[in-house]
Amino acid sequence: MDAAESESRQQFQSLDQDVQTLKKEVLDLNRDLFLLEEELLFPANSQVAFFISMDVGEYFELDSVNLKIDGKEVANYLYTAREADALIRGGVHRVHMANLKTGDHEIIAVFTGKGPHVRDYRRGATVTIDKGIGAKYLELEITDRVKKQQPEFVIKDWE
Amino acid sequence: MPSGRSLFSCLCLLLALLAPTHAVEAADDGRDPIVVKDPHYGEVLYYFYQEDYFPAIVRVLAAKDREQLSDHVQEAELLLGGMYLSYGHHVQAAEIFERLLAGNVAPDIRDRTWFFLAKIWYQRGYLDKSQQALANIERELPRFLQREALMLEAQILIDAGNYDAAIVKLENWKGRSEWASYAKFNIGVALVRLGRVDEAARLLDDLGELDPFNEELTSLRDKANLALGYALLQDGQAQAAKAPLQRVRLEGPFSNKALLGVGWADAEMDRYRRALVPWMELRGRDLLDSAVQESMLAIPYAMAKLDSISQAADHYLNAIEAFYEETNRLDRTIQHIESGQFFDDFVEDNPLDSTGWYWRLEELPEGPEARYLFHLLATHKFQEGLKNYRDLSYLHRNLDEWQQSVDVYGNMLETRKEAYALRLPRVEDALGRADLDEMVGRKLEFDSTLNNIEESHDWLALATQSEFEMWGEITGLENTPALRANIPEAYEVRDKIDLLKGVLQWQLERDFGDRLWRIRRNLRESGEALVDTQRSRRQIDESIRLEPLRFDELSDRVYSLDPRIEGTKMRVEDALFQQRAFLQSIAIGELEAQKQRLDVYSVQARFALAAIYDIASTVGEASE
Repeated sequence: MDAAESESRQQFQSLDQDVQTLKKEVLDLNRDLFLLEEELLFPANSQVAFFISMDVGEYFELDSVNLKIDGKEVANYLYTAREADALIRGGVHRVHMANLKTGDHEIIAVFTGKGPHVRDYRRGATVTIDKGIGAKYLELEITDRVKKQQPEFVIKDWE
Repeated sequence: MPSGRSLFSCLCLLLALLAPTHAVEAADDGRDPIVVKDPHYGEVLYYFYQEDYFPAIVRVLAAKDREQLSDHVQEAELLLGGMYLSYGHHVQAAEIFERLLAGNVAPDIRDRTWFFLAKIWYQRGYLDKSQQALANIERELPRFLQREALMLEAQILIDAGNYDAAIVKLENWKGRSEWASYAKFNIGVALVRLGRVDEAARLLDDLGELDPFNEELTSLRDKANLALGYALLQDGQAQAAKAPLQRVRLEGPFSNKALLGVGWADAEMDRYRRALVPWMELRGRDLLDSAVQESMLAIPYAMAKLDSISQAADHYLNAIEAFYEETNRLDRTIQHIESGQFFDDFVEDNPLDSTGWYWRLEELPEGPEARYLFHLLATHKFQEGLKNYRDLSYLHRNLDEWQQSVDVYGNMLETRKEAYALRLPRVEDALGRADLDEMVGRKLEFDSTLNNIEESHDWLALATQSEFEMWGEITGLENTPALRANIPEAYEVRDKIDLLKGVLQWQLERDFGDRLWRIRRNLRESGEALVDTQRSRRQIDESIRLEPLRFDELSDRVYSLDPRIEGTKMRVEDALFQQRAFLQSIAIGELEAQKQRLDVYSVQARFALAAIYDIASTVGEASE
């Protein structure tokens, strides 16, 4: 390796070290901002988070989810193929965060996509939740009912 | 709850991603999936599976900070290490792996991880670290990785100028794969550099005659033939050099150099007419190629040797003109790169939604500079530099977006503080009016009264208002003096009154137990409501005490983040500037080298042309 090449490599490594340090700092900063944003926008006492999960996904190909709280539409999320694939592989998507008062609230989720035999499929799930003090995590779960060869949609507390 | 992957699977998947061609075999480990127990871990996986490493890493860090990954502690840590590696954050990745891999991790996973760390460090030029990581591999890697690891080890030795050790390392190579061919090529090149041309010739010749089954190997065969041809030419074996050079395909990345070399081999043997054949073929090719440039001098050189002086002079003039124009184009390109526009275009042309180690720039932005820099793309230094530049641009944009959000959060917080300050007096006033202690006292009084009623079986005390009034009316009538008269009508009325009184009393006594139970229940519920109210009151008091502290804490965080973002952003800008300057220096260095070569060729052409004119004038004078 000649001297110029060696100097160039050293220069590259010095810059690379700076980039590494900056990456760490920006990631730490993002973590702090992420936490602050959540605490500010969704204080723990009133926070409700809605997660979409899929188990298996043989009988349903997810296109979109529409979410209503007490009759008011709060989220309408359209999934890309990449996102739907991430769900099938075990990822969980936080589709919505809300602040809710303590007491009863009606949650309605409508799932659209392709059902068995690649037919258009649209199903809803509803539940009334009792929001107490403290954060609440709800799971909008799509599972396969092997016996019926149909998908099943359930809203429940994350256990 | 969705099924996720086990710890082993996660790392296998990462390792598979790092070696895309073997993704299936590495990821399909056949082990049972586990259940995602923490939604936050599932959320990390959601981004991870989409290869969005930056948001995935941020979510792991945030969830770790809040201790929300209690069911996936070790998995999350290993996943984080893998994602750091994927994101090109090798320092942090190594820190985690060195810590975790020392523990209870399957040896095959540990070895694979060391291998990928070695690979990323090699690409970034950290040869010592790369070598150390390779040394940490304890067992034999799977075959497809073992071959690559050996190549990597040998390449590190070659890069360090330790050719003999590289040769020893690769000599024991077994197998007939593409890797074996690359190994042979690398040994051949190492031997040439050591001046052991004959030994190199045997290896490269063997490689130059192989029957390739894909484009990659065909290209490698051309490369071997070219290397051998030039090695023999430099060694003064012009005749021997021709055969390998002629084996190079006529159309391909190495064809120009091969044609040039074939010409020089003939020229070395004074066969200038034959030499002109491949050189004339080069004339119509891209002037950017140094072989084509050199051929523009070689052609008139051969013509002069063949006494075609006038044609030679024309060709030299053409070459000088062409070199001049090319030099001007190079100057314009250098100016464009110096303006910084080139790298801005590069960032604009490449969406920043994905970052990381896998990313490779396949095409430079359109424009005249792309054709000059094309082969720079093949170098690790330029590619890694571009990755860093791109990652820095991503960081800058990320900070920019946060900066705007933090301003909004600041305003939001101020608005909340104002609203709180406005509502607080009203709340305090309402709370002041609600005397909970007095309510508790009254409840206790009720309890005591009810106990007395029960003890004395005072059924009248539980009568309704109308019953009570009726009872009063009946007892009032009872005491009417007229009814005391000793006459039959009075007897009859007295009997009716007694009957009414008896029925009412019987009803009140009958309902007494039920009424007592209801009142007790209502009283108990009131007591519970009072306890709830007291609890709520305590919470309100606590909130009133804590809210200002919470505001202060949030304010501190919001307002301390702003300068932190600003400071980091400035440093990112500075790093971007430096990284761009570094890339510019590499690119401009490359262009300057091309320009310098053209200058040298121009001088040679002018000198040769002057010599031709001299000869011509001497011949002219002699003939006069």
